[in-house]
Amino acid sequence: MKHTIALTVNGEACSGEVEARTLLVHFLREHLGLTGTHVGCVVGECGACSVLVDGALVKSCLVLAVQADGGTVTTIEGLSMSDTPGKPEILHAVQEAFIDRFALQCGFCTPGFVMAVHALLARLPDPTENQIRQELSSNLCMCTGYVQIVEAVREAAARLRAKGSGE
Amino acid sequence: MTPYVGASVRSREAPRHVTGRGRYVDDMTLPRMLHACIVRSPYAHARLVQVDAARAVMTPGVKAVVTPDDVQRLTRPFKPGRYAAGLRVAISEYATACGKVRYVGEPIAMVAADTPAGAEDALDLIDVEYEPLPAFVTTAEAAVASAPALYDELGSNVAWQGHVSYGDVDAAFARADRIVRENLKVHRYSSTPLEPFACLAHATPEGLTIWCNAQSPDVVYEALAEALGLERVRVIVPDVGGGFGQKIHLIRKYAVLTALMSVKTGRPVKWIEDRSEHMMAGGHSCEQEFDVEAAVKADGEVLGLKIRDTDDVGGSVSTLTIHFTNKLNNLFNTYAVQHLRLEGRSVLTNKCPVVPNRGIGKPGMCFVWERTMDAVAHELGLDPIEVRRRNLVQKEQFPYTTPNGNIHGSGDYQALLDRVLANVGYDQVRQRQQEQAGGNMLLGIGVVIGVEPGGRNAARDMAIFPESKQMPGAGGVEGATVKIERNGSVVFTLGSPSCGQSHETTASQIIADVLGVAPSRVWLVGTFDTALSPWGVSAANSGNNFHLYDVGAVHGAATRLREKVLTLAAHALDADKTSLQIADGVVHGRGATISFAELGKIAYANQALQPAGFEPGLEATYYHSHPHANPLMLPDAQGRVRAQYTFSSAAHAAVVEVDRETGRVRVVRYVIVSDNGTLINPSVVDGQIYGSAAHGISVALGEGFVYGTDGQLLTLTLLDYGKSTTLETPRIDVEHYPVPDPFTTLGQKAAGEGAAIPSPAAIASAVEDALAPLGVRVRHLPLSPERVWGLINGVGGHLSRTLPDATRNVL
Repeated sequence: MKHTIALTVNGEACSGEVEARTLLVHFLREHLGLTGTHVGCVVGECGACSVLVDGALVKSCLVLAVQADGGTVTTIEGLSMSDTPGKPEILHAVQEAFIDRFALQCGFCTPGFVMAVHALLARLPDPTENQIRQELSSNLCMCTGYVQIVEAVREAAARLRAKGSGE
Repeated sequence: MTPYVGASVRSREAPRHVTGRGRYVDDMTLPRMLHACIVRSPYAHARLVQVDAARAVMTPGVKAVVTPDDVQRLTRPFKPGRYAAGLRVAISEYATACGKVRYVGEPIAMVAADTPAGAEDALDLIDVEYEPLPAFVTTAEAAVASAPALYDELGSNVAWQGHVSYGDVDAAFARADRIVRENLKVHRYSSTPLEPFACLAHATPEGLTIWCNAQSPDVVYEALAEALGLERVRVIVPDVGGGFGQKIHLIRKYAVLTALMSVKTGRPVKWIEDRSEHMMAGGHSCEQEFDVEAAVKADGEVLGLKIRDTDDVGGSVSTLTIHFTNKLNNLFNTYAVQHLRLEGRSVLTNKCPVVPNRGIGKPGMCFVWERTMDAVAHELGLDPIEVRRRNLVQKEQFPYTTPNGNIHGSGDYQALLDRVLANVGYDQVRQRQQEQAGGNMLLGIGVVIGVEPGGRNAARDMAIFPESKQMPGAGGVEGATVKIERNGSVVFTLGSPSCGQSHETTASQIIADVLGVAPSRVWLVGTFDTALSPWGVSAANSGNNFHLYDVGAVHGAATRLREKVLTLAAHALDADKTSLQIADGVVHGRGATISFAELGKIAYANQALQPAGFEPGLEATYYHSHPHANPLMLPDAQGRVRAQYTFSSAAHAAVVEVDRETGRVRVVRYVIVSDNGTLINPSVVDGQIYGSAAHGISVALGEGFVYGTDGQLLTLTLLDYGKSTTLETPRIDVEHYPVPDPFTTLGQKAAGEGAAIPSPAAIASAVEDALAPLGVRVRHLPLSPERVWGLINGVGGHLSRTLPDATRNVL
């Protein structure tokens, strides 16, 4: 039996017919073509599929698509400010910091990390290294050893604070 | 103008990854594409009586099933392959198990359906009849002469035995003041790339195209040609979510199965491995046991080593000796020792086959040397760092040829130790250790040294298998193409795929310097494609081939193109070629200039403005091989061969705290001083070092595979497997101490998997130091809390004898 769901994804209204067992991550990837959300384990251990649902950070492999019905979802594709034709993409401070600090290698875990860091800095604008490591401990990266990721988080935090105080 | 090589130029790959625009195999969709799943063995060892797909194929949505009968009927077996040197009998291995399964998770059949869920549902509708056989999970059980053989053709599970010997080992032992003996073990682990295997195959009458996350596309290319008898094969490698060696070898089975399914259905077929499949069957590192004897003088000089190495190679012969032959690459580590005998045994067990994996046998070889150095110091009452210093190759000895034929181009091993001791604050740690003595937290420090070999030479394997009828591809070959477009922008094509090592960033910097343009005007077009990329045998994301071969190829192609640019510009400006200079994409003569864009228009679109004899276009391809590949590209009569071509080196210092009550090890400080030769992009190199160190540390602390006595894998998820997270992984400090290599293009050496080689030994050394007040010696990995608690409480030896594979879960 199929269920019809309707939700807002990255600011756009979307709907689809899904089986009850369809995971949110598969709905995002296969129905909506939002392939920036990755599947590394499908059991909630690696964090590559992290997205925001109604503002909360979730692993989209642990959420059924039907559970997100009526909700608001933000994926990695929705984080950069706009892709207005003719204008260059304005990246989120977390994305910029990940680029500048070489905080990624193969890039597979990166969208999940960026979403997790975005959520972390919304709650803790000036985290210590210990807080960063605690908060990101359910996102796995096999390439980087996390050193440059932690640096990028601190960099992003500083940039966001500077931006906040300037406004 | 400041060169771009040597600067941490902004990453070219990162913008697409932080925005979710990376393009991995699973992100791709083709019209009418089917989705495939694989039936895998639940038994560690069984005869396959029957595979019946009747119920599955009658199910709506299911399009086809490939069974072992299909595989045997429609494909040819793989050749033994380059990792099976020493295999005494040719053994046919197909993409699926045929007749017998030899490990849990071995592929048996593939089913394709309209949807991924439909394919997964259909797995239960394929009826497989098994006749279970006794399973062997330890080399001790499997190697018993009366044990039934996994392969009837071999008659024994000891599938290979052999040795290499350099110098006069017996004479060295006769001169010794003392023989130091150790039994050492390294457990099974993997590199667990976050993206598992992925294949998308499309077979048409015109040919077969496969998109596949292979690190060594030649393995897949050859496998498809061998198995399916196809000539028109195209292997395309898009973004790859981590490799570390895992994606070199076993992926060929799945490429063949997916391709066969596409042939059978006439439709594109996608197969994506899931995490637990990868843990079961994606390939493990080899569990290795070493009996080491060191002949030493009273002053700590090591005269020679005798090592007996038992490798648990799992349930396949296709990588029979890979962990043995890779030990030739760092056989003497950083030491000037002249006499060494290494005996090897490859024992088949009912566990996952073994594959390349961040260093392959090299972490084991380094572990042997560094644990032995600590043991020598302990037995002689000497300082462990002084014992190392006593035996190091000295700075003035470079280029240094090891007794087995490796040429270490440059280095300064004493300086690495000096710097790492200073950076870690060795004396202060020792002082803190004294202050904390008697407490519950035991502080320890370990200092080790190792090399990171780079480049490839498959002829190495002839050192143990001179009777091999087929010479493996000796040395290395790799190409690159650089082109100035009509509008003056610069594009390039590499001969090898990347799986996260920033090939585009690094190569852009080299091209920018050679051509005289900003790196932002240089971009990599497309992705690796066997039909379009200038690839050679080194087109593999392994052995740090990139730093040796691709760097040479890109530099060569850019240099060739620069000559063309100058020839054309000299004609256009009516100037002497030697008087021209290039800056920011503009060629400057005396008083006149011409831009790349103007030259592009002439080169592609205006023959009248070209000099006589000028080949139109501004494009150059260059194939690079190691200019100093000889001597010893092929083994000589003594078995000496250049196993790899560059030798980065590093000293590691680990400071740990061991909780006496729980056995938990916390790494409080980790410091590396590394010589990777000329750095092209320091931040990129830092990332490689951080990542590989973190992996080696995690391995030492407990990540690894655990099998039950029935051959069931108990660690099917990353959590059970025990991968370190941000919490267990320490902050890692790196200092570069580059000594340029005299034999490479820019003085560069390998920078990739290197820090995974000495780091397990560093942790072991530090834990042993912490436990020294208790009289404990550390010989076996991993140092999981249970193992360390056992050591503290005097049950470690017992555990390691009776529960070699299951210590983590049993206690």
